Amino acid sequence: MPDVQAKARVRPLDELDIGSIVRIDERITGRYRPELWEQRVGYYLRRDPDSSQVVELDGKVVGFMLGDVRAGEFGLEEPSGWVERFGIDPDFRGRDLGTLLFGALAAHFKEAGITTIRTLVDQQDAGVAGFLSALGFSPSTLQALEMRVTK
Amino acid sequence: MKVEHTTLPKKYHDAVEHWRRHWLPDYGTLITDWDKYFPQDDAFCLCAKMEVGTSDMIQIGDQTGEKKRLKPDQLTEDQAKHLLAIIRAQASTEFGSIQQHAGTLHRAADDEDRFWVLRVMAEELRHGYQMFHLLLTEDWTHVSGGVKGETMVEEILSMQTGSHVLDAFNVEYDSFIDNICFAALIDRVGKYQLTMQKVCAYKPMADSMPPMLREEAFHLAAGVIPLRRWAQRAAKGDPLITMQVVQKSINKWFPRALEMFGDERGGDKNIHFGFKDMKNREAQDHYLAEVTRMIRDINSRYLRARFPGYTPDKVELVLDQIERSRGKHEGVAWDDLLHVPDRRFFRRKGEPAWQMVGTLGETFADADEYVRYLAKALPEAYLTTKDLRSYSETLHKVAAGELSVTDAIMSMPKLKRVGGTCPCSRSVRWVQEEETAAPAVTTNGS
Repeated sequence: MPDVQAKARVRPLDELDIGSIVRIDERITGRYRPELWEQRVGYYLRRDPDSSQVVELDGKVVGFMLGDVRAGEFGLEEPSGWVERFGIDPDFRGRDLGTLLFGALAAHFKEAGITTIRTLVDQQDAGVAGFLSALGFSPSTLQALEMRVTK
Repeated sequence: MKVEHTTLPKKYHDAVEHWRRHWLPDYGTLITDWDKYFPQDDAFCLCAKMEVGTSDMIQIGDQTGEKKRLKPDQLTEDQAKHLLAIIRAQASTEFGSIQQHAGTLHRAADDEDRFWVLRVMAEELRHGYQMFHLLLTEDWTHVSGGVKGETMVEEILSMQTGSHVLDAFNVEYDSFIDNICFAALIDRVGKYQLTMQKVCAYKPMADSMPPMLREEAFHLAAGVIPLRRWAQRAAKGDPLITMQVVQKSINKWFPRALEMFGDERGGDKNIHFGFKDMKNREAQDHYLAEVTRMIRDINSRYLRARFPGYTPDKVELVLDQIERSRGKHEGVAWDDLLHVPDRRFFRRKGEPAWQMVGTLGETFADADEYVRYLAKALPEAYLTTKDLRSYSETLHKVAAGELSVTDAIMSMPKLKRVGGTCPCSRSVRWVQEEETAAPAVTTNGS
């Protein structure tokens, strides 16, 4: 939908986007979690405010993608660009807004000298897994493992 | 993005550290507990940071397309004088805000809020250090009246609340609410100034801006996030924080923030000289729109806390309805929400200076009546300050025709350094400004 993309504006996240992110998250998950997003946005803004991105349509934030450059995660000493949280308002999906957001984030990572971008995905979430695959992500030799711990 | 880090010569670095021991005594705690509150963040560095790879060409003004200037003597004399004033004003604001924050930092009820402000203070110290780097690495004596960098640094480090270049940095905090509102409102002006100066025709200034801006983003969050949380607490009936108390602090700082942009009719020189890419009124308009967005965001948080069952769309609808009608919704009155004061409210500089206008745009004809109105609109602890008393006295003179608006703008008392060799000298006293001309520079921010 090129007409929609033409009106879309991708820009770095700022502190006034918290309310919009809370709203998008609530529309996706059904949970109202302002405290969580206040913490997360505070985190990304103090780490690297140029990294995380939001997309606006007609001045309204309808999507976000949060990430930063980090080294030392899981023994990965090489600095990597981590894509950690993203969401598109369900009313505005299917319009390549996620691709626009990722493009801006990836450009920032490249500018920072990053050669690998990493993320984690729940393979049971076919929508997200498909989106990441379409962006060019492929399975890594690193595998996420977990163990249940009983009290 | 690539950033080069440099430190000042030892003598100056030590002077800043010395100053820091007076005004930022919790610095050690910040460094010790850094990982607790800011895990994974790079350690704080008291140094100058210069962005590498920025444009070499002048992007705006009379010299557009020419190579950016690398030394003050490559600027015209007028340009160099003007830029020097900007740098000195900027440095003053950075150190000034630390002094203001220090007064009420310990009154924070929440440890995280306190540590966030503490980090803001440390980063403002770094921003002041950055400006010293600009003052000290090149020779400005041809436009400073022979005053050397060393003396300029001493002068700035000697300033206290009351003697800083811009009014916003001469007003003391009354409570920790001021720490937060200051970060949300005054630091936001700083963001605009830094953003505008990214194009600066003097390359060392332009290269200083991106690292400062990245730090400033967190400063704004350190204001807005606590305000959002306080709105939620107020909505839930916490007697210790109310929207009215927050509104009074906004009323106190917002007029000073607008004045930091400089007179609404000015700013041409900055454009011609290639130092900034917006005139004063244009930048102020953008700022006003952003503050409006911030207030709406906080009000939405308040309403959602009052009505947890409402959807986000319903909250927006109710907010629109209350703002339009100035009425009530299920027990929430228009007065229970925050508002952006009229841009002419409580102004002492700029186009509407010394007009008697209320937060809603209502006008007053009598100075006594207006001061009584201010006493209700401003924080209680602020009412007994020297700043407000001076304002009231001057307002009465303007209203009586005993003082022109121009003279009134210059008549507010300021602290001046009167001696002492220690860079952090507290040897100051109250004196009246002698100049009557409008200051060359009225912009900048922390």
